[in-house]
Amino acid sequence: MSALALLGAFGTLLFAGYGLLTLLIRQQTRFSLTEQIAFSWLLGAGAVSLLLWIFGLFVHGVLLPRLVAIVCLALGFVGWRRMVPRPLRRRATSFEILLGIIIVIEIAVVFYLSFVHTLGWDGLLNWEIKARYAFANGGILPGTYFSDSGRAFSHPEYPLAIPFTELWLYFWLGEADQFCAKTIFPIFYVVGIFLLIALGKRLAGREWIGLLVAPFLFFVPQITVEVGSAIAGYADFPLSVFYLATIGCLFCAAEQGNAAFFRLYAACLALLPWVKRDGVILWTVAAACGVFVILRTKRSPLFFLGFLPGLLVICGWHFYLRTMHALRPADFLPVNLETLGSHLYRIPPLLSAFLAEFYNLPTWSLFWFVVAIGVAHLLRRMGNPRVLVLLAALIVPIFLYLLIYVFSSWPSYLDHVGLSISRLLMHVAPVGFLVTILAVSSRSEKNPARVREGRGVTCVTAGSERTPVVELA
Amino acid sequence: MTSRFSYGRIAHVVLWCGLAAASLWVSIPKIYSGATQYPLRPTGPLHTCDSYLKFATGASGASKDLISIFHSMTASKRIVIFTRKDDPFSSGLGMTTAYLASPHLVRLFEINGTHPDNELSKMNPNEVAAVVFCRINRPTWLPAGKVFGSGLEVVSMPEKVRR
Repeated sequence: MSALALLGAFGTLLFAGYGLLTLLIRQQTRFSLTEQIAFSWLLGAGAVSLLLWIFGLFVHGVLLPRLVAIVCLALGFVGWRRMVPRPLRRRATSFEILLGIIIVIEIAVVFYLSFVHTLGWDGLLNWEIKARYAFANGGILPGTYFSDSGRAFSHPEYPLAIPFTELWLYFWLGEADQFCAKTIFPIFYVVGIFLLIALGKRLAGREWIGLLVAPFLFFVPQITVEVGSAIAGYADFPLSVFYLATIGCLFCAAEQGNAAFFRLYAACLALLPWVKRDGVILWTVAAACGVFVILRTKRSPLFFLGFLPGLLVICGWHFYLRTMHALRPADFLPVNLETLGSHLYRIPPLLSAFLAEFYNLPTWSLFWFVVAIGVAHLLRRMGNPRVLVLLAALIVPIFLYLLIYVFSSWPSYLDHVGLSISRLLMHVAPVGFLVTILAVSSRSEKNPARVREGRGVTCVTAGSERTPVVELA
Repeated sequence: MTSRFSYGRIAHVVLWCGLAAASLWVSIPKIYSGATQYPLRPTGPLHTCDSYLKFATGASGASKDLISIFHSMTASKRIVIFTRKDDPFSSGLGMTTAYLASPHLVRLFEINGTHPDNELSKMNPNEVAAVVFCRINRPTWLPAGKVFGSGLEVVSMPEKVRR
């Protein structure tokens, strides 16, 4: 019975996401099946959680999930009428099949790990707690929760994408279930893998490069088995997948005339601050990269409207917290020049702490070393705006994260760093994989003719793929 | 005419293959130990809370009992939870209990030592539904409560507490 309920919850969520995907793509770009599943999940999770929150302002009880389900089905119907075109099929090589099998085994292990481990500390007390309380209160968080000082440890001010996705499962299950809530996290892992494969193909023009690099995600301990990993029920890994989707779409949108990817970028961008508070920092960086792309490619000023949904989410959530008299978070001092000036002495120790984290082998293995080589490899291609965007999206958030610890209000700010740094770095880790993919493929890209040998959908070909020849094919 | 296998190309392939092999060499032991560390646990709606409580107190399936105790109390009254400073087990127990105490409002007291007499004497018992002691000794003047394993005790507050 639980399996059927979960199937219903995931099905409606994917329906909604697929409908949104078709509305954003408008049949202008071909998307592989893995891309369609990945974006449907991300957009579906974002849409369902936002709908539960927004509709919850007006209705609650049994009416709330029914209303959201109706919208999901309506969106699914839209998607059914305007199917996203798929790329031309080709036979996979035996090497690609082998890599595919490895990935399937890794995914199975991640699902197993997810069920072996319980929810992590933050997974239970920061995220699932909101889903449970909302479920017990007819789908809306009790007003007293936001101002209850005894539950300030659970960060009532954190946004609701993850808890309300769990809440959607609870509505279908008919009860709050900590075990079933965990199922959404390995799915985010699957989505991350699918995106790496698909974006790898678009970046490098070859299917096998994405297939070759994506399995290494499993071999980063911080992502697979460490505290706050993809299986622990924390929002950090889902946030990193949303960020990967955002930056990957922007990379493809930087291609002249590819507005479909820009719309998809805007949608994923808007969801960053909805997943975690730190998402505002990622939103700022990704939006700045978006502004750069718009200006550099001389797009219409109308493209700036793409930042509006994200701003609405940020302001809407802030306004809601104020209305609910939510307690102010106590982890950070007020961010102003005066505090910055009086705490500048923290920067050198913070730099050392960050550097130490990069070569923390039990947590990261050689991941950051490999990424550093990838960055060095790409430095000579900094003239390419797309490469510049990718490198900025990887490096700038790390510096901003370092800077926020300057404002830490913990008695020992280095303890604060030690407790959260690995999870913060995880937000940009999948983008590090994109950098690696680009670096690995950089030698073959010198010869454009070879890039097209892949016969797959690349960002280069995506803009012109609705030519009569392709349509006929 | 350039050779398909230039030195640069060979160096590129060797570099990335070497990095991949080294990464696997470093990662596999860690991933293996992480993956084989725990056996499959019993599933259930409260499986994470039950695991925490079992780990901290030794009591099995305590979450359900805690929830039913809190549900039997007047919802408008607070649950007061005492935890010990510098004791992560006590602090974890306190937060897990606060999680389970919904819909009651909660007040968490982190105290030095193990005797909360001062804080208790300042409380208005009419506003409190229960007092929870997480690895803290219950004052002898309070009636005994429901004990879960070692270190967790929930005392329902009578209408009037007399010292």
